[in-house]
Amino acid sequence: MQKPSAGFDWLQRLSTAEGDWGRVAVQGRLAWNKEGDNRFEGQLYNAYAAGKVQETEIWAGHNRPAQGLASAWDTHGTLLQPLTMYGFGYDRDWGAGAGRLFPWGDVRASLTTGSGMPLYFKGNWLASARASGGVLERDNYSAGLSVARGRTLDTMGLHLMESAPETYGTVGADGTVLWDRFSQRLEAVTGRRQGQNVRALFSRTGVGFLEESRLTIEAQPVAVWTDGRETLEWGGGASYVLNKNWTARVMSLWDRRPYNQQVVAQLYGYFKI
Amino acid sequence: MKKLLIAGALVLAATASLWAAVGCDLNDPDRDVKRIFPESTGYKTTYLSIKDGGGLQQLARVINRLGDKFSGPYENIDVPYTLYEIKKGAATLGYIHGVNQKGTYGGIQVFLALDPQGVIRGFYIQKLTSRAATQLRSKSFARQFIGLSLKDFDGYNVPFGRAEGPVAAIRNPAPEAVWDFRAVMRAVKKNLILMDEFVYHGAKP
Repeated sequence: MQKPSAGFDWLQRLSTAEGDWGRVAVQGRLAWNKEGDNRFEGQLYNAYAAGKVQETEIWAGHNRPAQGLASAWDTHGTLLQPLTMYGFGYDRDWGAGAGRLFPWGDVRASLTTGSGMPLYFKGNWLASARASGGVLERDNYSAGLSVARGRTLDTMGLHLMESAPETYGTVGADGTVLWDRFSQRLEAVTGRRQGQNVRALFSRTGVGFLEESRLTIEAQPVAVWTDGRETLEWGGGASYVLNKNWTARVMSLWDRRPYNQQVVAQLYGYFKI
Repeated sequence: MKKLLIAGALVLAATASLWAAVGCDLNDPDRDVKRIFPESTGYKTTYLSIKDGGGLQQLARVINRLGDKFSGPYENIDVPYTLYEIKKGAATLGYIHGVNQKGTYGGIQVFLALDPQGVIRGFYIQKLTSRAATQLRSKSFARQFIGLSLKDFDGYNVPFGRAEGPVAAIRNPAPEAVWDFRAVMRAVKKNLILMDEFVYHGAKP
């Protein structure tokens, strides 16, 4: 995520005289690597087609698997990242999914390749499902329960870290509350990943300032236990909406390990063409 | 050792529809359309802006009709507006249209459901994190807008929050949140003016 890049976002609604019935979305970018053999890397995020069958939406392609807070949270362009960045599920994955909205919340399920951004067929797969109660934009709260099981590949961006898939199985709970100028997101996950027992706790607290909360300050502790060994990472960030096109962001991450502190600054532009 | 990374990101939205995602969309249009128009069989989404419509002249007219200046990132000539045309078969039952409005903390998103003549048949606040969110989202508050139209809001004085006629009968359910109440009233008038400009073209009931 934290690479200089230029990208595009394309969405086409599919309609008849009787209304919308689907959409096609493609989102990609060309990222610049300071290190490594390939200085420029093409990356694909959204690449899916979705349509409605009665009350159920079905999608196929490269989209968000139905797992955890990340599946219901638009972190596009942001610097601080949810648990997908810590190896719990994928930001996007190849496959298909279905979802249905109810007055009390929604239910979604997906069957994907468990490979993330690249597409591999090495016996890998990931089945996920999430049910949530509350509609965040209506109720100012939402809570979800997720379950995922499969044999997944360890990938980082486009790169395959291990060639063989490993068993993956987790259950998780997440919640989001908005109140006044404050936002709070929590997620807890437990299960097995790559032959190890894993647990994770995630928290993101945000406070908005200035008119329309154009300045946001956030704090994010993330704790991950792998076979009992704890890694605690602290994150903090600020975001300022300069105008309708540009946003400036800064983020810092640090943990107890030496040489493992980061400060990232970003200028993000989003334009209609 | 501390690393400093500079990450610049530039994203180009390739269609007007995606650009509209930064405007005011219903979060779950399937659910909301069915709730407000239970007899509907579908909806069609289109994206509009003053820039692509009447341009600077229209912008000046909207501001004049509102009686208050535009300000902030969500009030300018090229901000996108999402219009949901509600269908029963090929027939149009009405429209749902939302606007962003500056609240005490953060933005407020106020949606109106209008019949083909421009009369309000539904009122819905989507985004609102005010301490008075429960009261301003209550059904009893929403009911006060039903049956009103732009001609009723024409006389509403936005800068002073003064109303006459049927609009004067709308009661603030949270007197301690007077600025959020006035923000909602401003958003309703702005919404009705924009719908008149985009869809009804002055054909007020």
